[in-house]
Amino acid sequence: MNDARGQASVELLAGVPALLLAAFVALQLLAVGYSLTLADGAAEAGALAVAAGEPARPAVRAALPGWTDGRVAVERHGGQVSVVVRPPSPLRALSERLAVDSSVWVKEPAAEP
Amino acid sequence: MSPIGAARRTAAALHGFLFESESTLEDAGGPPRESHAADAEPVNGTAAPPVILASAIGGSGGAASLAAAIGVAATAGAGGGAALLVDVAGGQRRGPTVLASEAARELEDRVRGIGGVFEAAAARGNLCHLSLPDAEDPLEPVAALLAHELPASAVIVHMSQELWPRAIVEKRLSAAAGVLRAELPGDRALAALAVGELRDRGLRAKIVSDPLGRVASRRALAGLEPGGAASRRAARLARALLADHSGQGLPLVLGAAAALIFAALILAAIGGAITGTARAQRAADVAALSGARSMRDDFDRLFAPAFLPNGSRNPAHLSKAEYLARARAAVRHAARMNEVPAGRLLVRFPDADSFAPLRVRAKVRAEVDREALPGPDRARGGRRVGIQVVASAEAEASPPASWSGMPTMATGGGYSGPLVYRQGEGMRPDVAAAFDRMAAAARRDGISLLITSGFRSDAEQAELFEQNPDPTWVAPPGKSLHRCATELDLGPPSAYGWLARNAGRFGFLKRYSWEPWHFGYTRGPPPCSEAGNSIGAGGGERGSSGGVPSFVPARYREPIMRSAARWNVSAALLAAQILAESNFDPNAVSPAGAQGIAQFMPGTAASYGLKDPFDPEQAIDAQAHMMSDLLRQFRSIPLALAAYNAGPGAVAACDCVPPYPETKAYVARILGLLDGAGALVAPELEVRLVE
Repeated sequence: MNDARGQASVELLAGVPALLLAAFVALQLLAVGYSLTLADGAAEAGALAVAAGEPARPAVRAALPGWTDGRVAVERHGGQVSVVVRPPSPLRALSERLAVDSSVWVKEPAAEP
Repeated sequence: MSPIGAARRTAAALHGFLFESESTLEDAGGPPRESHAADAEPVNGTAAPPVILASAIGGSGGAASLAAAIGVAATAGAGGGAALLVDVAGGQRRGPTVLASEAARELEDRVRGIGGVFEAAAARGNLCHLSLPDAEDPLEPVAALLAHELPASAVIVHMSQELWPRAIVEKRLSAAAGVLRAELPGDRALAALAVGELRDRGLRAKIVSDPLGRVASRRALAGLEPGGAASRRAARLARALLADHSGQGLPLVLGAAAALIFAALILAAIGGAITGTARAQRAADVAALSGARSMRDDFDRLFAPAFLPNGSRNPAHLSKAEYLARARAAVRHAARMNEVPAGRLLVRFPDADSFAPLRVRAKVRAEVDREALPGPDRARGGRRVGIQVVASAEAEASPPASWSGMPTMATGGGYSGPLVYRQGEGMRPDVAAAFDRMAAAARRDGISLLITSGFRSDAEQAELFEQNPDPTWVAPPGKSLHRCATELDLGPPSAYGWLARNAGRFGFLKRYSWEPWHFGYTRGPPPCSEAGNSIGAGGGERGSSGGVPSFVPARYREPIMRSAARWNVSAALLAAQILAESNFDPNAVSPAGAQGIAQFMPGTAASYGLKDPFDPEQAIDAQAHMMSDLLRQFRSIPLALAAYNAGPGAVAACDCVPPYPETKAYVARILGLLDGAGALVAPELEVRLVE
């Protein structure tokens, strides 16, 4: 093929995977950032509930959008509320490796005498 | 190295860069060219100059000068060098000129060095002109010439239209483009056909309808820029014919990919900075909340008597300084646990001047790393300067907003004292306190007690009886002990066994053998008794004496009890109010102008006939009178207290404790005092962020 335009087309086609890869990396980066923001907000919601003497888990769930169902782990140790969110990803293994966590500590209610 | 030589090498390097892909095409489809490394140093070891075919259609002329102008423009576009113009159209042989560039002469030497018909090469300006004689196959010597490495920016082959069809398919020429001089619109059909053929073969094509002028033609054929508009036209043509398309697709794609990732990184960096700021705010929020939580947990201890009846220090008591120190420690601990160093935290108590502060403010100074942000660095003295972020939050412990709406004075039954609520059911304060203890014990045994019914007025009982008029199960109105606020119906059924075994420990008695849920409180005053009615007016268990809490100075006990009896208001309530208002200082004057022990504003004092607000006995009596009115109006101790502090209008407007920090804190403090004095079981305070 000695058509330069054809050459450009071939290169464009060859570059499409690179473009798709870049788009994937960019979207994955954004998904991780968004998940971290969500985890932060949810952990704080859980901490507010703990400070008010209420359970943390429902407050955390209420602070997260529906798509996080099955992608969230909530743990509470005393006043520490930890939220782990797995960002959306077409690759489950990658999603697990990119999981973000956020922890907040708040004074829990004193034990009743 | 001479400047010209350097310029030539630079131009050659640039040429190589610009036309790199053409060699790729050659490698892909054309025959390998003969190397003449021994004859001359190649300008670019692998690059071959692009070949442009030029001709004229029909009877038009001027193709030779057009080809020359394009050649000259190609040398300018390549940053120097010389172009080779080969004329196989039988044109006149042209001699060299004195204005020939060094590059053109070098090219001339190279071509002449091949020998034979190529010795006719002549350097003219930026061109090397070669006119080939007629031959059986005129394209043969051209192909032979192109097989050599030529230090040319471009090779333009001018031919007759008869040779054109063969030239465009001649693989040895490896033409990149074709330019045709045509008279339009007359030659439109022919031109369209020629362009179609060129494009079918992957060659760029240009049709030129306007010939160069006489002077421009002469200058072009002399290897000089034609000048003016002709130069610009030639440059445009050369760019169009020699434009390097190959190698552009990949940079475009890679550039887009890099831009995508760069944009995502910038967004991530901005997101990181926002997250950093949000985390500072979050740290301030939870630090303030932790402080408020500490206050809420310690609030009762603030009002516990400092000394036990045996004269020893009461370990449950906290002084205000200790109370604030504990809250401050809670704020600092929360900040540290959320990765805020102590040096970056400021703790303040906005209502620290009051005797029972309930508000705490935490201020966090954080720093967002500038490295995480896009844009230029701002380094000072070699140190990276972060972005300072200040986040502050204020939290408070206050009565639940929903709580004040419930009537806190029972009416319409056998009991007419204060009501407190557990699980939405009203009961006598001492009953509530006993229930709290019993519920806590049940929780420790894994049982959650439910209250299904508490105080019922006669009207409520009548309604119940009407639904189920069987005296065995529902007592007639006026007969039920529920009207005394001492009876509780408890559940769930799974707790009946536990209740039967343990309720007695907390003063509760199962009233009827057939009602395992019905328990009455027997440890306090009898149901529906006068003593029961006054339980909230000072009949508590802790720190009270004669209905007046122990914190009341001796000289005010008698006036308080007298006024309480006269206006039928809780003596403990009046005492707690005075403590909150003036700390029993008869000469107190507030910044707002409130005067005396009960802090009457002059207008209010006049409306209650209080002539001297600084006379404690008069002031206490007016206070009791006013509280009696407010309790009758609002039927709620918190609302009456709020009305005393903020005015009845503000309370009536919302039927709530108005959202003024001072009023909310005032109500909370007095409820806390009543609770601490055992006069009233106050509702649990809520911990929440204020801002």
